[in-house]
Amino acid sequence: MRAFQRGFRSFRRNLARNIVVVVLLFVCLTFSMSMLAVKLAADNQVDTIKQQVGNYGEIKISSAYQLKQFEAERTKTAAERQAAARSMTTAQAFANRVANLVPEKLTDQFAKDSYIETYDKVLETNITLSDIANTNIQQLFSIRQGDSGQPGGAGQGGGSSTSNGFMFAGNTNGASASDFTTGAKKLISGKQFTYQDYVNANPVVVIEKNLASQNSLKVGDTIEAQISGASGAKSYIDLKVIGIYETVEAQSGSSSSSSSAQNFNPAGSEFYAPLSVVQKLNATPGYVQLGSYYYGSVDDTAALKVTFKKDTVGTSSKYQFATDLSDYQTIADPLLKAKNTSMIGLAGALGACAVIILLAMVIIVSGRIRELGILKAIGSTDRQVIGQFAFEILCICLVAIILAMGATALIGQSLGNWILPKTTAKTSTSTQAQTQGGPGGAPGAQNKLYKEGGRFTQATSTQKQAAKLNVVYRGSLFLYAILILVGLSLVGMAIPLVWIIRLRPARVLSME
Amino acid sequence: MSEEILRVRDVSKTFQVKAGDVTAIDNASFTASRGSVTTIVGPSGSGKTTLLYVIGSLEKPESGQIDVAGSNILDPGTDLVRYRREHVGFVFQFFNLVPTLTALENVILPMDLAGVPAEAQHRRGTELLEKMGVGGRLLKARPNKMSGGENQRVAIARALANDPDVILADEPTGNLDTATGRTVVEILTTLAHVNNKCVLMVTHDESILDLSDRAFHMSDGILSEIDGRD
Repeated sequence: MRAFQRGFRSFRRNLARNIVVVVLLFVCLTFSMSMLAVKLAADNQVDTIKQQVGNYGEIKISSAYQLKQFEAERTKTAAERQAAARSMTTAQAFANRVANLVPEKLTDQFAKDSYIETYDKVLETNITLSDIANTNIQQLFSIRQGDSGQPGGAGQGGGSSTSNGFMFAGNTNGASASDFTTGAKKLISGKQFTYQDYVNANPVVVIEKNLASQNSLKVGDTIEAQISGASGAKSYIDLKVIGIYETVEAQSGSSSSSSSAQNFNPAGSEFYAPLSVVQKLNATPGYVQLGSYYYGSVDDTAALKVTFKKDTVGTSSKYQFATDLSDYQTIADPLLKAKNTSMIGLAGALGACAVIILLAMVIIVSGRIRELGILKAIGSTDRQVIGQFAFEILCICLVAIILAMGATALIGQSLGNWILPKTTAKTSTSTQAQTQGGPGGAPGAQNKLYKEGGRFTQATSTQKQAAKLNVVYRGSLFLYAILILVGLSLVGMAIPLVWIIRLRPARVLSME
Repeated sequence: MSEEILRVRDVSKTFQVKAGDVTAIDNASFTASRGSVTTIVGPSGSGKTTLLYVIGSLEKPESGQIDVAGSNILDPGTDLVRYRREHVGFVFQFFNLVPTLTALENVILPMDLAGVPAEAQHRRGTELLEKMGVGGRLLKARPNKMSGGENQRVAIARALANDPDVILADEPTGNLDTATGRTVVEILTTLAHVNNKCVLMVTHDESILDLSDRAFHMSDGILSEIDGRD
């Protein structure tokens, strides 16, 4: 304790000289702390991005396989195709139907991997409903009429242009479809189908409000759907309407549009039903369009790819495990570059700090050799002298680091902005291209992921976040500051330590 | 008869330099008692300061024995830091005060290192300095604000801080004018005669021999007692 008091007193009494050292250290430490703050901010934002992007993957038919199929079909003439269809057995017809689908067994097996956190299976297909009309087509027609100045309501305009084809999106739990979790679509009456509905293949469905309104459907009503490729009395299934949703995005978009487009709703033809029901309607039981998976973070991707390879031995070229790794890379790359730059800056600045404190201590200690000799001659132990110098150095470093922390608060953000690569324009373009992608499957579209209906909304918002580096003070910065303080003090102690231990008082006390 | 507190027997010290070995102390032997002033005179480089540092445990001799208060300080198990704190006090030619400390702080420094309670340190430090005639405003003066004589008085007060048995003074008048030097020697003499300290001075100034109880001459490391004293 007394050594500390002596050290503090020595720090105060040698103020002018110590201020010079403090100022030099302050400059380098400010740079170090700012770089550290930038690094921590980049780390934090990358971690946030990792929770949102780069942790999604899906198993689906590979685009290479689809291209191959397409090329094979293209070489056939129409007559050949018709002849082949006529001579097809039931088994061949089924094989043909599921050729571009993924076995559920494969998706279930993959879901057992410990990295997988949530799992869903999706099948989208076009189903014919004989009782109701597709308002999507009706409204589009109505808009065209309105634009040309022709009179007539939506019902009249669309009356002759109705379609009975509807898109059915099936998954294992209606509430988990990200169209609903992200708020793009909202249930306004009734309820969602549950996992139990999927397991029991309950014939229930959730429909769009305009579609319901146009067809006078309400919760509890039943609609008749035809199983694909089937005929006869058993080819129909009655689907009970259990919920009605509205498409929030389409409505908000329509508020600024012309009055004729007020009811336009591009999602009007979309039904949500349990996967098992959609499979039944599509006549492809046991097959899905894709298995969709969320895992811990982008860091698990490599391990999951290994698992996928194991699970698809022999058929690996037919299926692919597509991830949003490239989304993550596009979004996180500027941050990672900023992080790397800040690491280099941090290392350089800390190195400079170490050199400054070492040189300063050489000058300080060499100027106080006599004092060291006196202390030893009057009965001071090496430990007491070291303690005094250690506390003195600690005081110098502490003052410098406190000032540097303050300066970091002022310049950290500017430095972060300066370091962050200017890639916003490029990445925005990339995002637009992605958002246009719908459900995957088309040849060459292997990067376009389904994301349970989310369709890259998360990636887009995350990218906006990543465009700016938010350099904020956080607890870890203080912890690192303490570590730097201790490290710097220890480096600074190296010189006095050697001199104190090796010093022979008799040599210095006789010096004039 | 006064108590023999310091006994130096057959002490030798050699320094290795480029030109070869230089014998600084050649089988030096002498004794010194409480209440006496012992002076060693000799030209520069004769080895007298080395002998003082050997006695003060700042240098280690090749051979010999140095008994202080009955213990041989050259025994391997001796705690030399404690020895320097409790048994010896140094007074140097260039005062060797810590320049950033005040007079009082310089005096209480040895007590602080020895773990004396703060209040006792302050009381004794003030007392010693006042006794040396450096009281009042000079208590808080730094060495660069004091004269050579005042600095040397502070140095003597510091040497006395832990009430040692032996005061080792290395050219205490070397950096002072004649009158001030004389005063400082008189203080040391008083310390020996009144406070019963054993004062060992080394100097090249033979004019202070008249104030010594015993005197030795040192030349080329060889110590010899000057006749007609004691």
